[in-house]
Amino acid sequence: MKYPSQSALRAGAIGVAIMSATAAFAQEKSVTIGLTSDPSHLYPLAGEELSSNIMYYHLYDPLVKRSADLSFGPGLAESWENVDEVTWRFKLREGVTFHNGNAFTADDVVFTVNKARESIRPDLVANIAEITAIDDTTVEIKTPKPYAVLPNDLAELLILDEEYTTETGDEQMDLKPMGTGPYKLVEWIKEEKLTLAAFDGYWAGAPVIKNVTFRPITNPATRTAALLTGEVDVIQDLAVRDVDRVKGEGDFNVLTRPSLLNVVLAMDTRAQSPTIEGENPMTDVRVRQAIAHAIDVDAINKIVMNGLATPSTQYVPSSHIGYVEGMNFREMYPLDIEKAKALLAEAGHPDGFTMTLDATNNRYVNDAQIAQALASMLAKIGVTLELNIMPKSNFWGYIRVPTENSSFIMSGWDVPAGDAGSMYGALFYTRDKKEGYGQVNRGSYSNPDVDALVDQADATPSIEERDGYLQEATKILLADVPMIPVHYEQDIYAARKGVTLEPRVDKFIWAYDMDVE
Amino acid sequence: MLGYLLKRLIQMLLVLWVVSVIVFLMMSFTGDPVFMVVPIDATDAEIAQARRLLGLDQSLMVQYWKFITSLLQGDFGRSYVFRQPAMTLILERMPATVEMVLVAMVLAVVVAIPLGVYAGANPNGRLSRIIMSSSLLGISLPGFWVGMVLIYLFAVNWGIFPSSGRGDTAEILGLRISLLTWDGWHHIVLPAVTLSLGTMAILLRMTRAGMMEVARQDYMKFARAKGATRGDVLYKHGLKNALIPVVTIFGLQLGDLIAFATITETIFSWPGMGKLLIDSIYRADRPVIVVYLMLVALIFVVINFLVDIVYTLIDPRITLK
Repeated sequence: MKYPSQSALRAGAIGVAIMSATAAFAQEKSVTIGLTSDPSHLYPLAGEELSSNIMYYHLYDPLVKRSADLSFGPGLAESWENVDEVTWRFKLREGVTFHNGNAFTADDVVFTVNKARESIRPDLVANIAEITAIDDTTVEIKTPKPYAVLPNDLAELLILDEEYTTETGDEQMDLKPMGTGPYKLVEWIKEEKLTLAAFDGYWAGAPVIKNVTFRPITNPATRTAALLTGEVDVIQDLAVRDVDRVKGEGDFNVLTRPSLLNVVLAMDTRAQSPTIEGENPMTDVRVRQAIAHAIDVDAINKIVMNGLATPSTQYVPSSHIGYVEGMNFREMYPLDIEKAKALLAEAGHPDGFTMTLDATNNRYVNDAQIAQALASMLAKIGVTLELNIMPKSNFWGYIRVPTENSSFIMSGWDVPAGDAGSMYGALFYTRDKKEGYGQVNRGSYSNPDVDALVDQADATPSIEERDGYLQEATKILLADVPMIPVHYEQDIYAARKGVTLEPRVDKFIWAYDMDVE
Repeated sequence: MLGYLLKRLIQMLLVLWVVSVIVFLMMSFTGDPVFMVVPIDATDAEIAQARRLLGLDQSLMVQYWKFITSLLQGDFGRSYVFRQPAMTLILERMPATVEMVLVAMVLAVVVAIPLGVYAGANPNGRLSRIIMSSSLLGISLPGFWVGMVLIYLFAVNWGIFPSSGRGDTAEILGLRISLLTWDGWHHIVLPAVTLSLGTMAILLRMTRAGMMEVARQDYMKFARAKGATRGDVLYKHGLKNALIPVVTIFGLQLGDLIAFATITETIFSWPGMGKLLIDSIYRADRPVIVVYLMLVALIFVVINFLVDIVYTLIDPRITLK
């Protein structure tokens, strides 16, 4: 009598367990996201591009967390302080574990920094001279010189598990990632889908959305179709021509946000320029200002960008350190053909001149069309642009400093670290004067005042002082016009109604911050 | 036969070698892959480090020599972008492509041959004219347009088929096959139809032309006179003799679709290998491009060899020498 009743009891228990399991499954929140491309990597030290970056921040955590609107706060580090001008002490969060259960300790941080130095991304740790583990939960970082924005830089350094990474090896790390992040990798079928599951032991609390699937859908029209048919819940980079269609359906939200990517035109300031016959007129600031006056950014926005760009006011967005409140490049150099012609005449070039514009055709939104629009705009003041348009695989090598081929270059620049300093140091600092500075100064611009201000900014441990020096530099640069800022591209997302998504300034879609109904 | 095989093998090695040399030379003009890997504000030291890690710090000759020597040891090199073995990258995407192409080719043959025979046998019939003008459409409509229209109609408007992706797959011998699941079939229909249209039209027109040619031969009338049925005459005597050029084109199309189904794959976000080639060209990822094109050359050589064998089956007068 005893035996059957027990087994009946057990059967009943299993039945209940199955029922509750299916109930839990039905309630589990899931989201499918259509990306523009498959990630190339899941190992943060193997390289960077947008899709990979999105995966990294699901799987791993940095010491310092960058929020959606570019403010910086505690991540794996709970707090930090300056011990002296070049020494920082980071207090690490206790009780954090990697997905495999290994505890996160100071040794992992030291390991990650040293590993990065040997990898293809030494730039991640360029501002770290030395790192030591004081105890299990404290690391001390020395910078080569006082460097106020070290925490911002650390937001891009994702912490690896020393034991696991060493065992697994670089090549396999790309396929079997292991971090402390809010999600674990379930399966990655190349070019088809990548699925993540919530890591319930996440230190900031278990994610609300339990299952995340990323699908790479390269063709923009197909991406829209997949959203409309309900195959995906969210898409990245909704095609401009589909915006009205998707809005018109009623069941979808279109979300936009100006990106950090500033499209800029670099002008050569050397006495002789590769594509200009005779003297280079652009050594004269009046000629550079004339070119700025001739460019109708609003027309580019309306006609080429369908109104989906934000004209740039300065070289960096207003959220950044070094931005000067109230200064607007567009008001300083409004569209004014007569003024432009007068400035050219004053500089001794009433008939204009001819040069080549180097631009891409597959890197920025409508880049080739922007180049064509620029040619017709500058033709009005007698500056003839010959267009040299190429795919990005050729472009970066072609325009690379010392720019032996270029006089006038259209490219883009973004600073997700939220600070103008690295941009000014790379783009406007005199070439070949100091290691790590001026390496992307494509116009060979040189101004001792700017150099001095960048030096001072990079020598102070105080963020306020850094901001002050960089603002001074911004004022000089806007008057000197070594480069013309054009516009920020707009990021466009679409999601079915019921999906909560706040687009991030850095474009890194993060399921941890999302919710679905 | 053995001599024939040997000759083919030597030819193949020669083709593969030439492909590798051409790709190596071509890739030295298409931009420096290092700049696709490093951040744009990288310093010279960082670039030098990346160059060293990728093995790009040596001269082209040395790089080629290294490539050939490791190739002979079965190592096909690593992608600059993915940092994974190039062959693995291609092979893991290959089943999806081959599967889609096979469905497309079967579809093309099943539709094209009967219609071609019919149109060839009744060149003046109204139905033949309709078939022939539709085939013109099939040849001239670009694949990306057909794909988009199919997605718009069948996925967005009517919701009959999904718009993209591969759906569920079942695993056999480590290969993921979608033809074994209902969901997989559901997903493969639109891309396979899109891919098949061009080939279908070409095969149809070749079959028709062959049939019209053969129909004038005396043995056709003789067979009919001997009392063979019309169907027998058309399919056993006519089609068999009209088939040689059709088989040739079939082989070439098969290779072409496997190697370069890129557009269809992109439109339906089908996880095949064609997209890998285009992405690699954009990123100047030479190791992948070299291995890919060598593999394609190999596929063509093998297909042509099979086509030759099929010739001897269709027409016993042909022998392999």
